[in-house]
Amino acid sequence: MGNKKSYFIFLFSFIALFITFLLSLMIGSTPIPIRSTIDSLFSFDGELTRFSVIIRQIRLPRVILSFLVGSALAIAGAVFQGIIRNPMVDPYIVGISAGAGTAATIAIIFNMTWTLLYFNTIPLFAFVGAIITVIIVYNISKVGNKIPVMNFLLAGVATGFILDAIRSFLMVTGTNDMQQVVFWLMGSLAGTSWQDIRIVLPYYFIGVIPILFYIKDLNIILLGEDNAQTLGVEVEKVKKVLITSATLITAAVVSVSGSIGFIGLVMPHMARMLIGPDHRKLIPFAAILGGIFLMLSDMLARSLMPPLEIPVGIITAIAGGPYFIYLLRKNKSGGW
Amino acid sequence: MLEIKDLSFAYKDDKIINDLNLYIELNEFIAIIGPNGSGKSTLIKNLSNIIKPDKGSIYLNYKNLNDLSAQDLAKKLSVVPQDTKIDFDFTVYDLIMMGRNAYQNRWGKITEKDREIVTEVMNLTDTLQFKDRSLMNLSGGERQRVIIARALAQEPEVLLLDEPTSSLDINYQGEIFDLLSYLNNKKNITIIIVSHDLNLASQYCNKLVLLNEGQIYSIGNAEEVLTKENIKEVYDAEVTIKENMISGRPYVVLIPNKHKFNKKDKADFNLHLICGGGSAQNIINKLYNLNINITSGVLNQGDSDWQLLKSYGCEVSEIEPFAYIKEEDLDYNKKLIRNANVILVADLPFGHGNIANLKQLLEYKNKKIYLYAKRNIEDRDYTNGKAKSIWSELITRDNVSSFTQIDNLIEDIKRNFNL
Repeated sequence: MGNKKSYFIFLFSFIALFITFLLSLMIGSTPIPIRSTIDSLFSFDGELTRFSVIIRQIRLPRVILSFLVGSALAIAGAVFQGIIRNPMVDPYIVGISAGAGTAATIAIIFNMTWTLLYFNTIPLFAFVGAIITVIIVYNISKVGNKIPVMNFLLAGVATGFILDAIRSFLMVTGTNDMQQVVFWLMGSLAGTSWQDIRIVLPYYFIGVIPILFYIKDLNIILLGEDNAQTLGVEVEKVKKVLITSATLITAAVVSVSGSIGFIGLVMPHMARMLIGPDHRKLIPFAAILGGIFLMLSDMLARSLMPPLEIPVGIITAIAGGPYFIYLLRKNKSGGW
Repeated sequence: MLEIKDLSFAYKDDKIINDLNLYIELNEFIAIIGPNGSGKSTLIKNLSNIIKPDKGSIYLNYKNLNDLSAQDLAKKLSVVPQDTKIDFDFTVYDLIMMGRNAYQNRWGKITEKDREIVTEVMNLTDTLQFKDRSLMNLSGGERQRVIIARALAQEPEVLLLDEPTSSLDINYQGEIFDLLSYLNNKKNITIIIVSHDLNLASQYCNKLVLLNEGQIYSIGNAEEVLTKENIKEVYDAEVTIKENMISGRPYVVLIPNKHKFNKKDKADFNLHLICGGGSAQNIINKLYNLNINITSGVLNQGDSDWQLLKSYGCEVSEIEPFAYIKEEDLDYNKKLIRNANVILVADLPFGHGNIANLKQLLEYKNKKIYLYAKRNIEDRDYTNGKAKSIWSELITRDNVSSFTQIDNLIEDIKRNFNL
């Protein structure tokens, strides 16, 4: 992949990001003209109009969160696909969504939805559930001091099944507010406030910085762990750091948005096809694509059938699934 | 220099390497050979610190490998693995540049020196021509050269290779070994190669290490290690060791043994073969597979038919190299012929030196004699018609039959003697 081509791809994706950002603010159950949108964003001394309240209090945090969630899932997906060297892996494969989902279901069904300090307990439960699950998976798959990736993958899938079974059992036997659980499981950004961004943002940065730090090593791990070791990469250390970081950002975004599917699987894949396997370009590009994709999906989720909101996970799956099938058909031979 | 001290390694309870000691000096070109499961690849993995020894240590320039970071080790020692298939769409140039990883900063900033070295190793390995191609579109030999280039970009003192030629065509095999030889001679890189190909190892390497059951069975130059006895013991294979005419090094030839899967005792049938000068190489193999006793003579020592018969363990009446066969030499031969059920004469050329072999046959009027005459007797008679006249007389007799196809001849023997 030539540098010139990458440069144009990035330039183009930034323009697309900016346009998507504006469109997402303008379009919704109440359409807002572009002039008023820009005014509400940049005039801080003016009077609060109806439009500026919608933009600033409702749409802006939601659009920003869409970007954070979409980009975080795409980054984590690219990292897991790279470490495991398998394109069929998404950030949920290691049990994150099952853990978060089960914990969130427990919180909803047992009515533990109070507010702790300024945190809502459902995200808190989901976050803790996700982290505990990955710790369990990590320890199951550990052999001596190493984490063989196939063990990690299979332990994640198995643990996920068990947790999903527990969650289904709770849903069948529980009586409380099933719609809320279902909505959470499908993934939704409804009711986002600035509070959610304050929850997600620290974890986002704590997770992304180590990923950037080891981004070159991830390229070399693609050649196989033994090869990477002989090329000077401390494979086990890098793997541990990357797994921890990717888990952290995934758990953080899942806790506020529920498990939104397909972004972590399809976006890294799409980015790889466009810009090649070098993670120094692939990860930033996948992040932008994931952000754009979720902003657009959420825009559709809240404006297709107003005043009804479609869970955004349904939109991402409907858009992402066929695209993925297309990729598989087209790219049957060769690498990924 | 590389020193392996009391190395032991086991997968689970399966001991692969057992108290192995080896000292490798700077600038050696060493082949590690041995049968499957003898611990060759495990040894390479231990040497490259991909796996750690259960017991014992490995020292590179007096430093324990365990005390070196992956990065430091990568600057001294590089590895060409057995499986070089890569499923990612990296270009050849990018992949070779990854060899510079240990020298680069966190974000892989490419320096002028990195570029120089990568260009140099691409020239060396003749990979510059496809530097922008994807690795996935290269042939096996090309990909192997790219992987070697990547290993060289690490500027190693020691290069480890795990069967780099096992899946390559013969021309690529030679190419890779020639390159390694060059690197060893001109760039002073110590080369340690695991190889299944005993003859390539013999031809190119100045030291061979024969592993068996995780221990060194034999170590030394090719002449010392590649002996019939060692190979019989370690590989359980019957071979004959010849000399490679070009390199002068030992050349291992496997003896085909069709009886291995068709076990029966040697037939009580003796055949005396008259041959010489390499005229009967393929006849000898065919006869050997009939599972009969073969005797032969008279032959000059060192003759290529003599060599092959000896390596099969046949009884041969022999005389000194280049000597003429005299009456008295025929005594032992007569004894062999007396025991033979059949005499077979190959289509060897006759000169004054070996005409006695043909002449003696006139004495046997009741013994079955087969003459193989693919080539006309006139064309191989260097005795001014003497051989031809004997041949003509023989051919008129009832006990003599002549064939121009060796397979027909052997079929006839089988039919007449119920073999």
